[in-house]
Amino acid sequence: MDKQKVALEGIVALLILLFLYASVSKILDFDRFIGEMNNQPFPNSWTPFLVWAIPSLEIAIALALMIERTRMAGLIASLVLMTLFTLYTGSVLLHFFAYVPCSCGGVIRKLSWPQHMVFNLFFVALSIIGIILQRKKFFISTFIKEKTFT
Amino acid sequence: MKKIKWTFMTLAIVLGIGGAFATAPRLPQDCQAATQYYYNGTYVLAGKLGVNYICVTPSSSVCTYYKVGSTYTPCMTGVYCTSNCKASNPSPKKAKN
Repeated sequence: MDKQKVALEGIVALLILLFLYASVSKILDFDRFIGEMNNQPFPNSWTPFLVWAIPSLEIAIALALMIERTRMAGLIASLVLMTLFTLYTGSVLLHFFAYVPCSCGGVIRKLSWPQHMVFNLFFVALSIIGIILQRKKFFISTFIKEKTFT
Repeated sequence: MKKIKWTFMTLAIVLGIGGAFATAPRLPQDCQAATQYYYNGTYVLAGKLGVNYICVTPSSSVCTYYKVGSTYTPCMTGVYCTSNCKASNPSPKKAKN
C-alpha cells in the first residue's frame, strides 16, 4: 500500500512539474506563444482567449493536484487536457493540417511531432494510473473510517 | 508519508518554475526589441512577430536577424513563416530537417 501511495505522489509531482513548466514557459515567451497560436488551424479570433485560457488552465490543474481535496478533479482534468493535446498531435501526424507549429512551452517545443506523441501518451498513461491509485486510496480511507465508526 | 509528499511536491514546484526560467530564451527577448530581418538572398524587413510572421519550431535554422552596427546577427531560431504559411509550407515530416 505504501508503495502505491509513493507512486501516486510521484505521479502527481510529475504532472505538477509538467503543467507548471509548460504554463510558466508560455508566459515567459508570450509573444512567441501568441504567434504560434495565430498559426494554428483554428480561427485567429480565438487567439486572445486561448493564449490566456491554456496557461491558466494548466496552472489551475497544477494547483488542484497540490491540494488533497481537489486532487481527483486535478487528475481528471489532467487526463482530459492531455488527451485533447494527444488527439491534436495525432491529427498533425496524420496530416489533417498542412503545417502546424508547436504551441508548447520551453524545451518541449523542441520535440518533433512523433516524440511529442510519445511524450503526451506517457502523461495520459500517468494520469490514468493516478486516477486509479487515487480512487483506491479514497476507498481504503473511507473503508477504514466506516470500520472505525461501526 | 507526509515527508515524501512534501519533498515530491516541493521538487516539482521548484523544478517546474525554475526550469521554465532557466530555459526561457534570454537572447531573443533582448534582440526582439530591435527591428527584425529575415534572409531571402538579401536581408528583408520581417515585420511584426505574431502578426506578419512566426518562427516555426522545432528547427535549428535562423528565423530572423537583427542589426548590430552594420552586421546582421541571428536573433530567433525556427523557420520564417508568414501568416498564410499553412497552405504553402512543407509537411511536418519535411519540416523536421
